[in-house]
Amino acid sequence: MTPVMFGPPARRLFGIFHPSESASQDKGAVLICPPFGQEALRSHRFFRVLADRLARTGFSVLRFDYHGTGDSPGDDIDGEFDGWRRDVLAAHDELRRLSASATRRVAWLGVRLGGTMAIQAAQCSRLALERLVLWEPVVDGRRYAQQLREWHVESLELSYCIPEPSLRRRLADDAHAFTDEASGFAVSPLLRQQFSSLQPESLRIPTDCRTLVLGQPGDDSLKKWIQLQVSEPPVQFSEFEHPLIWNSDPSSNNAMVPAEALKRLLTTMYE
Amino acid sequence: MGVITCPAIGVDASGPVACLMLNMGANHRGGPHRINVKLAHRLASLGMTSLRMDLAGLGDSGPASSAERYLIQGIRDLQAGMDLIEAKFGIRRFVVVGLCSGTAHAMGLAVADTRVAGILMFDGYSFPGRRWYWERAFWRALAAPTNPAVIGKTVRWMRRKLLNIATTPPVDIFRVDEESPEEIQAIFKNSMNEITQRGVAVYLLYSGTQHVRDRSRDHLGPLVREPFAAKVKYEFARDIDHTFTSIAAQQAFMVRASAWALGIASNFTVPVSTGSASEPISLASFNQRRATAPVAPVAQRPVGAAAS
Repeated sequence: MTPVMFGPPARRLFGIFHPSESASQDKGAVLICPPFGQEALRSHRFFRVLADRLARTGFSVLRFDYHGTGDSPGDDIDGEFDGWRRDVLAAHDELRRLSASATRRVAWLGVRLGGTMAIQAAQCSRLALERLVLWEPVVDGRRYAQQLREWHVESLELSYCIPEPSLRRRLADDAHAFTDEASGFAVSPLLRQQFSSLQPESLRIPTDCRTLVLGQPGDDSLKKWIQLQVSEPPVQFSEFEHPLIWNSDPSSNNAMVPAEALKRLLTTMYE
Repeated sequence: MGVITCPAIGVDASGPVACLMLNMGANHRGGPHRINVKLAHRLASLGMTSLRMDLAGLGDSGPASSAERYLIQGIRDLQAGMDLIEAKFGIRRFVVVGLCSGTAHAMGLAVADTRVAGILMFDGYSFPGRRWYWERAFWRALAAPTNPAVIGKTVRWMRRKLLNIATTPPVDIFRVDEESPEEIQAIFKNSMNEITQRGVAVYLLYSGTQHVRDRSRDHLGPLVREPFAAKVKYEFARDIDHTFTSIAAQQAFMVRASAWALGIASNFTVPVSTGSASEPISLASFNQRRATAPVAPVAQRPVGAAAS
């Protein structure tokens, strides 16, 4: 496991490279595109363990933080889709450089908003992606933004001995309340506008990429979105029920690396 | 694994003092809501170098290489971090920001290593008496009729109590080595008396997650008349919550933490060389060297003794 800084001088990114530890098997390379905000913090350990396990069995893996997130330079407020898409591409190039195989198979695992960024970045024509695995990608930006508002209020209520009494009322009555931060992460006006513009109809999976979408069993909106896709081979959907709570505070009493979810992801990446 | 953040070239260095940050609970080195990264950026803009690091077994760090107890291993890890900063930048004095469970490591490090000039202990050791609990219940009861969040909290608390009472014992995160509550209190008292006598600056900061008011250094409980109590900076900040959930809470914390750290640094005047931006580092080689250096248990070191 090697920490790296990469990307253009004005937009350096932090990443951790897990080289393949198997001399006998070369299964290709995997780029993990992490979620946004609290979801990224919450799932950090999960993806570290996943990357370790994948590396042990012959994958080279790169984890990274988008600009203004995690250990990458920049502030929360700098976060926006166009830059993050470029970050995914920069991470892809870095993974190919580190794994010393420009022609080798590269798969992306995009998680939540990271899945959305992966879909958008995968439209880049120069890429030759072997596979796209999307774990509960955000396909409806407005719905996601509303979820972030609700989580923010929920977190504030949990976090103070006696919370501000007007939180719920403001959430219900004022559509603009709690839109400039999401559970401790600043959201710029541009990012808010990008959430609003993100519609399922406009989010298209690249036509020539083998794609698997993992979603909760009851997520009908995700299934409807998949039906809109016209890629060849067709997008596959697989139900994935897991106990990982994306927005949970790490201090809470729930699993950070649930074994069954880890096993399922490993099996998925081996396919 | 850790990340060093240095003042950019051109920023005046604050002095030969660097800041160490570590894990809070199971969070990785970035801290809850990325607070360690944000504080590192702020400190760098004010001229202070920092290292935020994962202790063994947490975040991106590997498992412990020795069979030492968790607390001792953590202290060794932090010493490895200090060794690295000293080797790279010539900085020999440190302030440590410990959040929640990280306060145990910060305090243990201050006892074990004289390079520590100050420790900030956020929502750490707490020994409130009955009055504190009764007052909290009173204020919550007073708020409940008009505050739906308090009703929700009360319902969740009752559900937890009813459902978990038989199966899940309460977890004391400071009870890392099977000490009794009395032993934990004695360790805290002895450690604080020792390090404050040595001149280590201590900032005890408590959030508004546990209570809405603090009348007389309530978290110190029966220790409030100990010699160390007169020497520490004690503050209750109702506007900050335990995990810095809002940007406002983060700002409030960072203003306090950075002013405190820079205040300590101002006591030391030797200039240091500065690099730029962030640098990821592996502590493995430093830890290898550290693995052979003995570290005394917390609060049992003689005054003034250093680990190495």
